[in-house]
Amino acid sequence: MSEPVLEFAAASFGFGDVTILDDANVALEDGTFVALVGPNGAGKTTALELFAGLRSLDTGTVTRPATTGRTVAYLPQSPRFRPGFTVREVVTFYGSLVETEVDADAILSRVGLGGATDRRVDELSGGMTRLLGLAQALIGDPPVVVLDEPTSGLDPDIADHIFEAAASMAADGRLVLTTSHDLEAVSRYVDRVLLIANGEFVLDGPPAALVEQAGAERLRDVFSSTVAGSGRDAVDIDAQTEGDSA
Amino acid sequence: MIRPRLVAAVASREVRTLLRNRALLAVAAAFAAVVLGLGGASMGSPGGYVSLTYDLLLPVELLVPVLAFAIAYQSIRGDDERGTLSILRTYSVSRLEYVLGVFVGRAVPAFVLVVAVLGAAGVVAGLGAPPTSSFLATHSAGDTPLIYGRFVLFAGWYVLATVAFVLAASALARTDREALAAGVGVVVIVAFLADLALVALLTTGFVGDLIGVLVGLAPASAFRGLVLELAIRPAIAADPGVATGHPLVSALGLAGWTVAALATAAVAVWRPVER
Repeated sequence: MSEPVLEFAAASFGFGDVTILDDANVALEDGTFVALVGPNGAGKTTALELFAGLRSLDTGTVTRPATTGRTVAYLPQSPRFRPGFTVREVVTFYGSLVETEVDADAILSRVGLGGATDRRVDELSGGMTRLLGLAQALIGDPPVVVLDEPTSGLDPDIADHIFEAAASMAADGRLVLTTSHDLEAVSRYVDRVLLIANGEFVLDGPPAALVEQAGAERLRDVFSSTVAGSGRDAVDIDAQTEGDSA
Repeated sequence: MIRPRLVAAVASREVRTLLRNRALLAVAAAFAAVVLGLGGASMGSPGGYVSLTYDLLLPVELLVPVLAFAIAYQSIRGDDERGTLSILRTYSVSRLEYVLGVFVGRAVPAFVLVVAVLGAAGVVAGLGAPPTSSFLATHSAGDTPLIYGRFVLFAGWYVLATVAFVLAASALARTDREALAAGVGVVVIVAFLADLALVALLTTGFVGDLIGVLVGLAPASAFRGLVLELAIRPAIAADPGVATGHPLVSALGLAGWTVAALATAAVAVWRPVER
């Protein structure tokens, strides 16, 4: 097994009384596609921001690649690029922030946007905007790519395309870390699943192995049995909806 | 260390953003129409450039902060709201490089607009002036386009300072609504409240001869003090004898506010994270 490129050691972080990480440890290797899953409010996005260097841990250490240049790429959930610019201009702009030469057309072709280089970003569909975000993540050839729910709200076809593009990035030797609620796609595409709940990584392993260990049929069942409805604690599931009251 | 290449990359994106925003172009056109209209009203006036400077001083003092607000209030906040600030942070661009890039890309076009429009207003006002203007009898020979040029450059400097102020507000805001409120607040403070504070100080009677220094401490009055002392006073024959501002303090005040506002924006734009 290769050396970890991204690692939390005794990591803790919280917002006031809300604990996101509580003395958590995890090490992630290059060339792997990792999914961080968990119930709503478990702190997946915050954990990604901590991994990506957008936030500081309260205590503990985070280790990132020691290379020069861009070390971690980050794609937030539902990014919107500056309106009025073409797809190629967006990639060219971000390319101007790194030391190396960037072939905007080649990067865009890599994610499937080769035919949309002159289209304005405000005319792109949600899926194409995420693909542009993926293209941006390749700029500077960072060894770690962090994606926050890159397929939320997208149709299954474009979601599969995005997962395939992310898997292809990992196959090139990068560590690709994504959050997702699409557990079916996670089962199909990723090498490793981390489940975060109550400030800890409570499950960690390849999706097939997790399913087998739990004696379940699907990753979704493993997820549900592990979090045991903790995501529902904050809501009143039995509350009557308007339709029910009729 | 500031890397000019990164500042230029960010600035270039800001300039293109401005040029592609029709609403901003409309604001720029409205500013030009008002200033050129006032210049046209002074066409052939015997008052010369001094009269034109007086005519334009108050409108410029009020319109420049509004122009700065339109140009800059959404700049940093917009990047944050769209999620692109998080993306930018994964590149090696520093907070200061990013803020300077946004400032250069937003303030320089504003500077060019203000200087060009005021310059054009000077040309318009100069059209039809009689060859032997009667104002030579009341003004000294200092009433030249060169003196008017000082006013134009001070107005350009004033817009740089006000854009820096609005950028700081944009960086401090955490929501669109906050950015809007903070931007409007900056306009009100720069254009009105700072002057009102000075007037209030005057009424206390404690200020005395220090008024010439104090006006240099607020952006709008510092701009006004520079114009009155360095663009109007040299052009009039009879020295009023009362100082309207201390030029050095006013210049330092305007520069100081610009630097302080940019520093505030650079500190507020994002929290540094140990790598």
